[in-house]
Amino acid sequence: MSDSSPSTGSGRSRAPPTRRRLFEAVVVREVRTVVRARSLLLLAATLTAVVVGITWIGDGFTAGYLPSIVDLLTPLELLVPIVAIAFGYRAILGDQQRGELDVLETYPVSARELVLGVYAGRAIGLAVTIAVALAIAAIAIAVGGDDPVRVYASHSGADSPILFARFLVLTVLFGLAVLAVAVAISAVVSVTRSALGLSVVALVALLVGFDLAIVYGLAEGIVGDADLLYTLAASPLSAYRGLVLETTVIVASGTGPRVASPVASLVGLVIWTVASLAVAVWAVGR
Amino acid sequence: MSERQTPPATEPILHAQNVDREYGSISVLEGVTLPIRADAVTALIGPNGSGKTTLLRVLAGLLEPTGGSVTYRGPDATRRIGYLPQQPAFRPGFTVRETLRFYGSLVGDDDEAPIEHLERVGLADAADRPVDALSGGMTRLVGIAQATIGDPPVVVLDEPASGLDPGMSTHVFEIATELAGTGTAVVLSSHDLELLERHAHEVAILDDGAIVDRGDPVDVRNRLELDSLRAVYEEAISGDTRTVRVQGVTT
Repeated sequence: MSDSSPSTGSGRSRAPPTRRRLFEAVVVREVRTVVRARSLLLLAATLTAVVVGITWIGDGFTAGYLPSIVDLLTPLELLVPIVAIAFGYRAILGDQQRGELDVLETYPVSARELVLGVYAGRAIGLAVTIAVALAIAAIAIAVGGDDPVRVYASHSGADSPILFARFLVLTVLFGLAVLAVAVAISAVVSVTRSALGLSVVALVALLVGFDLAIVYGLAEGIVGDADLLYTLAASPLSAYRGLVLETTVIVASGTGPRVASPVASLVGLVIWTVASLAVAVWAVGR
Repeated sequence: MSERQTPPATEPILHAQNVDREYGSISVLEGVTLPIRADAVTALIGPNGSGKTTLLRVLAGLLEPTGGSVTYRGPDATRRIGYLPQQPAFRPGFTVRETLRFYGSLVGDDDEAPIEHLERVGLADAADRPVDALSGGMTRLVGIAQATIGDPPVVVLDEPASGLDPGMSTHVFEIATELAGTGTAVVLSSHDLELLERHAHEVAILDDGAIVDRGDPVDVRNRLELDSLRAVYEEAISGDTRTVRVQGVTT
């Protein structure tokens, strides 16, 4: 193979893009896709309305941050995975169905850059969606809050926007872990019906299956009492729930049994994210 | 330069040697050897289902051959092979300019490059039109513009003139000839034998997964003492040309 300059045809001279530039190009394309997708914007607006609505119905605007976290935790355990799956289940499948994955294969962009770029772009959209919804609720609580002592006396000394900020960050992290699963699904399947089917299976597994498996393991003695806190970290949902309870509710109350290992739960979410993206890279590159 | 002028024989820039491709138990390509010259338009012709798209995908590096090899001997380029799929489509919600700018950014092109590529295919006026608002023919032209981004030394076009009106079909083949004139190896498939006869420097006739004849269209025609490429095609293809032969099923 010769070493001639990478310029032919039109005579245009060009510097080969760096790995970072390739990654950025894919990220920008994904962010624009998310911003221009009306269905995703509608989903974001719905999430915001639900979060604000739950906070309002639960008197969170006057009760304070901590009661709102308690009110929002269970609904978000259900809603965040659904929104994350919606953001990611067609992310790579769409390119594959249009033949653009084949076309992209003729460009100097690797499967890893493509998957990470797609994930990062969608992750920005999802993170903003979740953060805006919770930030609006937080602002409403800050503006409309009464003296928290009257409503939530036992927690009054610890209620703080910092707790809500932790809750926001952890909810985003949970969403990003599920988004990685969705991107993996979109890379593995080849038709929309399969993507939808696998997404439903993933949602059932994430929302119910893993927790049931842990309960079964506990009941059968497969999981010991001492291992429970770490076993919970294996389920993204349990890891998220445990992290929120450990870093907000229990911190605020200053008492109560340990419900999770924060470090193990964080590691669990990271492993789900990294392993899912690895599957996606493998699927695109095969 | 719009019509072909046979360039001098050179070393192939891309060389398929004894290529087999199987899908499970079905053999789609068998022992295909095809040298692709730079400075030339190489055309694959053959009936539907004869393996043209599979061979083009193997040549473009998108499919691994199950036997044999494809060797690239061209210059070291940012993008070695450009590719137009048989049914090009682009991510909805973006304009033509944005779409080509994205692909251009993957090879280090500046923001003005998309317009040059669109001008080449006669579609500059549609630069700001959403890709999902293009006709099938216009989408194919954008696909051809995409295939040439990065000035790849080899451009593989799967039925580039399909769905285009006669004027645009001719224009597409003129583009292919012009690309060949600038040193690009163009490999394409088409059923428009009249246009191929005028523009292709090399033609390979594919039948049932194997190349049954190959060479300069005029040489092939003269060798078989026939007066047109269509007559050559009908002579070379075995079986009933009115029936689609399904490989692995039709005997």
